[in-house]
Amino acid sequence: MADIDQILDKVDRLPALPSSVVRVTDMLTSGTTDLSEIEQIVRHDEALSMAILRQANSARYGRPGRMFDLKQSIVRLGGKILMKIVLEQQASAMFVRAGAAYGLRRGALWRGALGGALAADQIARTHDFADKDLCFLCGLLRDVGKLVMDMHFGSEYLSLISKHMQPEHTFVECERAAFGFDHAQIGGELAGRWGLPERICKTIRFHHEPPAEAPEHDLLVDIVHAADIICLWAGLAIGYDGLQYKLAPHVRDGLGLDRREAELDVSLTWCRLHEIEESMENALVQEHDS
Amino acid sequence: MPPSPTTYRSTEVAGRIVVGVADIALCDDPSAIVVTYALGSCIGVSIYDPVARVGGLLHFMLPESKINVEKAGQTPAMFADTGVPLLFKGAYELGAKKERLIVIAAGGAEVLADDGHFKVGSRNRTMLRKLFWKNNILLSADDTGGSISRTVILRMSDGEVTVRTKGKERTLWPT
Repeated sequence: MADIDQILDKVDRLPALPSSVVRVTDMLTSGTTDLSEIEQIVRHDEALSMAILRQANSARYGRPGRMFDLKQSIVRLGGKILMKIVLEQQASAMFVRAGAAYGLRRGALWRGALGGALAADQIARTHDFADKDLCFLCGLLRDVGKLVMDMHFGSEYLSLISKHMQPEHTFVECERAAFGFDHAQIGGELAGRWGLPERICKTIRFHHEPPAEAPEHDLLVDIVHAADIICLWAGLAIGYDGLQYKLAPHVRDGLGLDRREAELDVSLTWCRLHEIEESMENALVQEHDS
Repeated sequence: MPPSPTTYRSTEVAGRIVVGVADIALCDDPSAIVVTYALGSCIGVSIYDPVARVGGLLHFMLPESKINVEKAGQTPAMFADTGVPLLFKGAYELGAKKERLIVIAAGGAEVLADDGHFKVGSRNRTMLRKLFWKNNILLSADDTGGSISRTVILRMSDGEVTVRTKGKERTLWPT
């Protein structure tokens, strides 16, 4: 059985974290928003510029009868929204083609990533959590380990995991039985190699099994964990793993997540995702294969 | 008569009408294949009239529209109680008759160890049965529950419905 380091060393074309994401992540973790630096990032990327123009002139942010140019759009949207657009666009490039090993159609892993970011953002707002933007970022990157599994195991993944699938076990337990590690662990390691802050690595690593007790317990991990389950209920990025995951009781109780709030979060996450997809005019195939 | 296929957000790719999440497709084209991918706790409802060769597929996400009335108005296929009536009315407008309809449901899976707190898949199944019971509609076949993902494929030439899980297909109708 290969270990995580060997795989990360061996995999060719390991997904690289775009420099713009590193710069935006620095701003998010330090709590400083530098509009002029974001403007520099945006001006060097045509796709990003287009996304920002579309957003600033959309029904949500635009003004009837007026078209904002790029400079006006940057000022109008402000740092927080611009950072999210940068992250959405750049993560799209990483995730959009991946996921076949998990039985996901093209674009499905990206929809799941963005759905997780939106759901985490929604939950953070409901609970007035201070690090809302970190929730968005960690929700977006939580399944980055699936990229590595996809690249390393490819079409052999299904036959390898099938021998270890037990309906009463969670999917990450089945992955550990098959490979000695799961996609969340390898995702956390990859985030470490990218040089992301330890708190983000930990959130990716534990997003399926959030620690309940101090000092490991972190509300950020809890929120991203709950967001992952919300995505499953919204039908996002469901592949061979199906719904073989558990919502940790301490997260459910700690967030006071009840049926009504969960179903509302499901519907709001799905609607917001659909709005973004429409505004991106993205030619993603929107469904997933089983 | 509405054009065929009548869809809300579905996309047609290489002769396949793909029904997304919170989406419906209605069809009277016998050469078409209608498919919805990766049902988890969501439920796919397929209806087909073998005489009129009219059918449809709904992929709903949640049981009751009262949770978000505004969104239900914009996206009725998101909820069982607004999506199912739309599916049947659409099929009738294309010439289907209620007494001839073959009705099949798949999906409604659960996350593990839910302990009754949420039970989204189970509540979806219960709402669907309630709607069918109230309207004297019988299910011809169903494949629901568990924790697995399902893809449902309706073949419009003869109404065959297959379900695919982890790359393996099996026929739900005809049985």
